[in-house]
Amino acid sequence: MTALDPDDLSGDERTAVEHLLYRLADDELVLAERYTEWQVTAPTLESDLALANIAQDELGHARLWYDLLQDLGYSESELIYERDPGEFRHATLAEVPFEEGDWADAVVRGYLYDVAENCRLEALENSAHPRIANRVSKVRGEEEYHREHARNWLERLAGDEDGRRRLQTALDRLFPHALTLFEPTDETVEDDIVGMGIRRRGLDDLREEWLATVEPFLESVGLRLPMDPDDPADRLPDAVGRDRSHTDDWFDLHDEMTHTYRELGRTETTRIMDKPTDE
Amino acid sequence: MSSDAPVDDALADEGGAGDAPGDAETDARACAYTEYDEGDAPEDVPATGAGASGVERRVWDELYQVDDPEMPVSVVDLGLIYGVGVEDGEATVDMTLTYTGCPARDMLLGEVESAAANAEGVEDTSVRLVWSPEWSVEMVTPEGRERLREFGLSL
Repeated sequence: MTALDPDDLSGDERTAVEHLLYRLADDELVLAERYTEWQVTAPTLESDLALANIAQDELGHARLWYDLLQDLGYSESELIYERDPGEFRHATLAEVPFEEGDWADAVVRGYLYDVAENCRLEALENSAHPRIANRVSKVRGEEEYHREHARNWLERLAGDEDGRRRLQTALDRLFPHALTLFEPTDETVEDDIVGMGIRRRGLDDLREEWLATVEPFLESVGLRLPMDPDDPADRLPDAVGRDRSHTDDWFDLHDEMTHTYRELGRTETTRIMDKPTDE
Repeated sequence: MSSDAPVDDALADEGGAGDAPGDAETDARACAYTEYDEGDAPEDVPATGAGASGVERRVWDELYQVDDPEMPVSVVDLGLIYGVGVEDGEATVDMTLTYTGCPARDMLLGEVESAAANAEGVEDTSVRLVWSPEWSVEMVTPEGRERLREFGLSL
């Protein structure tokens, strides 16, 4: 097993690896944090459990990517609880609040996100960094259910006019935020991510592949994408997340996410048991 | 292991591709999900300590004492241990988890580390968490299957 050793990375390469890992980890963490708002309020017990389980998966995946940032010397506190919210790099799709009580929002959001996640994971399977590539199949194996869950709910809700209308409203609102998934953190660093083989495919390429999957499926259930087909990126929102610009809602969510840590005056994260070497 | 299993069923139960809207409310039914993919068992893993001797054997004996937190099966028989090496008193254990979101992650890693450290002749231990190859049910050993069947799981 090759560790992600900071001594083996040039300055530019380290920056590129970090940007890629922050994209992945922050998306998963923040979306999971949002998903948990559905706990005990989802429409059925099964859907409640399903979404809670998906959130737990995404937290597990966030941990896999944050682990690699820890290889580079950061602590969990530095990566999450004590990091300035203005430093996070998740797409705004993960942070915008759910429309109050709108299950269609959760379904559409999960679908747009999970298809995008699959595209980007596939492009990491042959990453130049074995520590990145080695965890991809485990994550992809756990993701299949997410897409199946989202597709099933889309089909079910689209089965009547009211459901379809709600889905379309959610799609119109969320689609611009979904496009931010494919925005660069920084143009130069993004060129390095692909040029150095950290991710084998560029973001435009991934967005095309994503659109080629989501567009026909959404059309098949009677929905249409609110975009200009000649310029898919024309609907980007003002804040795109990746470049650390965020909506105000993110700062509120971060405040809530870190509330207990701050209230208890913590300086490090909880550990269930000490390692024997600490004794 | 069990943290994901029951909910996957619930999640799959959302199924109903092609259901008319409203069916879920009126037609209660058993889980319709029947397409289980058990995965392939790679050749080199899991490791079970067969043929190990000396300090390495003692490390394996200790690892067999560490049970999954929810089921009466050792982490070795569950197929989580991918390798044990001992060099100059330093034991290295490569292990995986059934699930990336495993809530028992820290506990299991700590227990495995303590267990390896208990073996006579071990001065220092390190546990490396690895995710490749992906764990699947196929990695459970025959003894593990027997224990899990006795526990009530259908394997």
